[in-house]
Amino acid sequence: MKTWPTALLMLCLAGAVSAKPWWMHGVESNETDFLPPDVAFRVGAGIDGNLLRVRWVIADGYYLYRQKIEIKAESPDLTVAAPKLPQGIMKVDPYLGNQEIYKQQVEATATFSRFDYGAHPMQIKVTYQGCAEAGLCYPPITKVLFPEQAISAAPQPAQPWEAVAILGGGFAFLLAGLLLRKGRKLELPAAT
Amino acid sequence: MNMPGLRALGAVLLVLLGIWAGARFYASSKAVPSQRAVAVPAGVASPANPSDLLQAAAPPKIPDRLPQFALQDRSGKSTPIASFEGKSLVINFWATWCAPCRSEIPLLKTLHSEWTGRGVSVVGIAVDNRDKVLEFADRFKIAYPLLMGEQDALDAATAFGMESPVFPFTVFTDRRGEVVTLFVGELHRPEAELILGQVADLNQNKIELPAARRAIEDGLRTLKTT
Repeated sequence: MKTWPTALLMLCLAGAVSAKPWWMHGVESNETDFLPPDVAFRVGAGIDGNLLRVRWVIADGYYLYRQKIEIKAESPDLTVAAPKLPQGIMKVDPYLGNQEIYKQQVEATATFSRFDYGAHPMQIKVTYQGCAEAGLCYPPITKVLFPEQAISAAPQPAQPWEAVAILGGGFAFLLAGLLLRKGRKLELPAAT
Repeated sequence: MNMPGLRALGAVLLVLLGIWAGARFYASSKAVPSQRAVAVPAGVASPANPSDLLQAAAPPKIPDRLPQFALQDRSGKSTPIASFEGKSLVINFWATWCAPCRSEIPLLKTLHSEWTGRGVSVVGIAVDNRDKVLEFADRFKIAYPLLMGEQDALDAATAFGMESPVFPFTVFTDRRGEVVTLFVGELHRPEAELILGQVADLNQNKIELPAARRAIEDGLRTLKTT
């Protein structure tokens, strides 16, 4: 008989695992299988010389509108030219006319100029809007991205003179310490 | 210059050399890199990927009763949702830029005309620019009541548990103001008729709310598989 409370507890836990009100199952069973916007449309940015690259990775069954993609400078003294985007897939929209959309992934490029010589972290503002083919749309999404941080996260090729500079600097400090110390004796307490 | 003085001078020069080397290294780290990879999330996100399924949006925490809010109507007058009290409501959240929202407008117009005699009213809530909504409503001859707003309409969507709203979504209430269900995505006639049939039974006290919700759940599942 002691197994009854355990079984009851297990049943309650199993119910808790589903963690949704039972009366919402009707909803859940049909349409809440949509992805959060940041999963449906993953965005990242980086720089390549004076070229800014912004790439979206789009989940299967989702798409982005070309016309809704905007890339603007956010940090001061940064200017970003109008982005270039590849040709998309034509989607017929009875209200708005033919619309170009992107599936799977898309990369926008834009040239940029900086006048602050790195005094501010480079920030850009990207706006995009997309939908799921299942019949729902996300409101326009705006994000501030730091393209340089994305770059610095990637491994950077070592430059030989950088290593020379580090080692040279360290060696110079060591020599300076030795020069200043020369002729001085550390007074140690006399052994008893 | 005596020997200690020369040593001190040498030490200062070496320290300056160290500072210069450090400064060069710092400058190199701030320089614009060239020919480096764009950092983009790895892999193609796909709902078929189990890790993405785990990330699927949490279902909305739908309130039991119609939340209270007020939005502007077509004339600009602030209209509380409570002004529709006593009617069953089909509250449709939409936007003009949303293609599936526009697709379901003809169905909503039909539902409004067919069900209005049975105490059901469609209320459109446009989360959009007012001028665009008014132009769209005129062009598509939307006769059912329309409320609209931008942040305030988004707040109303949030009040229905849609923390990160997607559009369209439609809330069905009974005449007592109890939320029967919330349907996310483009509504089609079979789904609408199934839900409104249960709402009608609720209004006539033929069925209890839990049973109506269960019937909707089962019905939607059946429709999905057929």
